[in-house]
Amino acid sequence: MTSTQNVATAEQKSRFYSFSLGWLGLLALILLWQLAAILINKTIFPSFTTSIVAALHLITGPIFETDILPSIERTLEGFLISAVIGIAVGMLVGHYKSARSWTTSVFDFLRSLPTPLLVPVAVVIFGLNGHMVVATIVSGAIWPILINTANGTSTIEPTMIDTAKTYGLKGRSLFLRVVLPAASPQIFAGLRIALSVSLVIMVVAEMLGGGSGIGYFIANAQQSFNINGSYGGVIILAALGWIFDTSFLMLERRILSWQRGTVGGSANA
Amino acid sequence: MTTAIPTSANKDLGTGRFRKNRGNSARSIGGIVAAIVIWELLSLSGAVNKNALPSPPSTFAALIKNFGGLSKSLFGTLEAWVIGMLIATIAGVVIGTLVGRSPVADAASETVVRMMRPLPSLALIPIAILVAGLGLKMTVGLVSFAAFWPIFINTRAGVRQVDNRFLESGSALGLKGLELLFRVILPAAAPLVAGGIQIAISIALIVTISVELVGGTGGLGQFVLLAQQANALSEMFAGIIVGGFIGWLLNVLFMNIVDRVLPWRTQGEIN
Repeated sequence: MTSTQNVATAEQKSRFYSFSLGWLGLLALILLWQLAAILINKTIFPSFTTSIVAALHLITGPIFETDILPSIERTLEGFLISAVIGIAVGMLVGHYKSARSWTTSVFDFLRSLPTPLLVPVAVVIFGLNGHMVVATIVSGAIWPILINTANGTSTIEPTMIDTAKTYGLKGRSLFLRVVLPAASPQIFAGLRIALSVSLVIMVVAEMLGGGSGIGYFIANAQQSFNINGSYGGVIILAALGWIFDTSFLMLERRILSWQRGTVGGSANA
Repeated sequence: MTTAIPTSANKDLGTGRFRKNRGNSARSIGGIVAAIVIWELLSLSGAVNKNALPSPPSTFAALIKNFGGLSKSLFGTLEAWVIGMLIATIAGVVIGTLVGRSPVADAASETVVRMMRPLPSLALIPIAILVAGLGLKMTVGLVSFAAFWPIFINTRAGVRQVDNRFLESGSALGLKGLELLFRVILPAAAPLVAGGIQIAISIALIVTISVELVGGTGGLGQFVLLAQQANALSEMFAGIIVGGFIGWLLNVLFMNIVDRVLPWRTQGEIN
């Protein structure tokens, strides 16, 4: 009894130890930045505190409504559209062998295409606005979802599908009630990648012609030598990336709690 | 604990059933032909936007006509890509190994890695322009920064997760220090390292082309941007086709090298 308790506290201790060590590491990096900035003392390299203050100014200022919110909206919109199309097409392609062999090479090519190259096309089609940004996000974020879904679907135990069919499930209910849950760990792994892809593509699309948004703001700040502003913008983007990733993992853990301990999923381990 | 980045789409394509069906090459060529026919129909009918989508024949004509300019642009892009990837790979593997072998450094880098992993590195383009000015040096710097993270993260995870039985058998056989590192630890970590490099390959290409688009520093990105600004849409699509092809080729080449150099790769996959 006591021995297991000891083991538990020892484990807790070492967990606490590595946790605090992790934050110490981050703190050390920040201190390094601060010191380097003070020593170098150049306007193009502001210190950490200056950048944080600039970021706070941006969040509390009018920029929040004109640039930050639109960026978040576009990222989530592009991500959700990619998720719906990617999961639907991915399940079909994964389930039907012939669909798979027809599309493999075309999808291989399209997903290798560096998405930023498509920004000029989107500009021609949609003009310089938010729709252009969303369209570019979809053209990049759809691939990890589609491929992971197709792969998860094609590796489902055939007996599972056969059993469902024996029980009379077919068509949409077969997909929604058997295929989708069985492939969900892989789908979530794809969704997580797609979420960070969405954020990256949002930034570059806005820099090239979003008309508004954080990417647009950062690029503009650099051109008008608002140096603190562009560092502040980067900090906001880094925070957004972290918030998106963390909330996604929490959501995944909740939705996939029924299959903890079985295969796959990006939150496992 | 941060796990290794799942090798996303690429890994799954390589090992899942998705790829095994590739033997069916007639159908996959049929798929390409069908895609080109759909493209032609879309362009003819003007369903998308008549001025935005040139037809396949005019795109391929532009591809041949601009062969010289395109190869020059492609060379510029690949130059920055290769140098950036080299730096990122060496730095990522070396630092990842050091950090993965040291429990203290491993724990101390945990939070930093968690913060850096979702950072959209393209946001750093304006700052990189400010600090280093436009040019090859700045592109290479940014490319190697962005490509460093997946390689570092996966190497760190791979080195950390080496099976204790391997380590014990290694030391029982008298291996230690560098010999243990090169003959046991690194080969055991190699599949994950390769996965990290594979992710970095596409990230590096995306960053290179984005810098070219935003900064106008030559290369494929600037080629496409200039074509768009000159309203030469066939040229623009020719540039995009070349971009897709080179992205595909780099991936396939790397996969082939990995299959040849690491035949044990499939057994070492960690999710």
